[in-house]
Amino acid sequence: MPADPKAASRSGFHLDRHTNTIRFIRVFAAPRVNLFAAWTRPDQVTQWWDATGEPLTACEIDLRPGGAFRFTTRSHPEMPFAGIYREIVPPDHLVFEAMGSTGRVAFREVAGQTEMTVEIVCRSAEHLEQVLSMGVATGTSQTLDHLVAFARRTMRPSP
Amino acid sequence: MVIDDAGTDRLNSVFQALSDPTRRAILARLMAGEATVSQLMQPFQLSQPAISKHLKVLEAAGLIEGGRDAQRRPRRLAPQAMRDITQWIEPFRQQWESRCAHLDRHLATITTTET
Repeated sequence: MPADPKAASRSGFHLDRHTNTIRFIRVFAAPRVNLFAAWTRPDQVTQWWDATGEPLTACEIDLRPGGAFRFTTRSHPEMPFAGIYREIVPPDHLVFEAMGSTGRVAFREVAGQTEMTVEIVCRSAEHLEQVLSMGVATGTSQTLDHLVAFARRTMRPSP
Repeated sequence: MVIDDAGTDRLNSVFQALSDPTRRAILARLMAGEATVSQLMQPFQLSQPAISKHLKVLEAAGLIEGGRDAQRRPRRLAPQAMRDITQWIEPFRQQWESRCAHLDRHLATITTTET
């Protein structure tokens, strides 16, 4: 849960159609060095990466520009999240390439908390749609339940 | 977002198709590029009829289609299935919401400042 209620209103997902970028912001009640460690240390990434809440079955991190990483979940061992680090500037930001897109994760200190911005920059509109549809394919049953609930909400007949 | 009856039917068949973990995994595989039935049999360790049955459901939901090579009959993702992007961002968002919730809990267990 975001620590700052004002940030929650800004935490929505934004699709920038001009730059084919997905962007979202979250605020955490922790110093940014801890956020940076949570993203870059295998023993920590394994604790939170899998959306199902299960620890990763494998987490390899070669933390240097050009170094590879690979996060493997129990539910989708055939589809690890894998890529190459491009920029590593602790505790400010991290840039990597994965699944054909560029990921940028930045940490900013705001009133003793950390504002995390995640940007996923895709090559094209088609690629953006592919990245989004990945959420469907790797969706947990929980995610699917959310999707069905979402569809029910949005499919209500118009008056 | 208002969806007419035809849209509702289509969404229902999409959800039905997505309700099976094997079919979701097949979709995930096809995101990496088109694949034939025999190419799909290997990673999923399923028989040809089993794979074909899953492909039929995915095809009926409009999620996949036949590729260019008629002889090998490869399947690929159907571009029109991805048309309504608002429909697809929701599971992606949910995935990151869960992930951020886990991250939040994880950070709470770290009481010291990392160096």
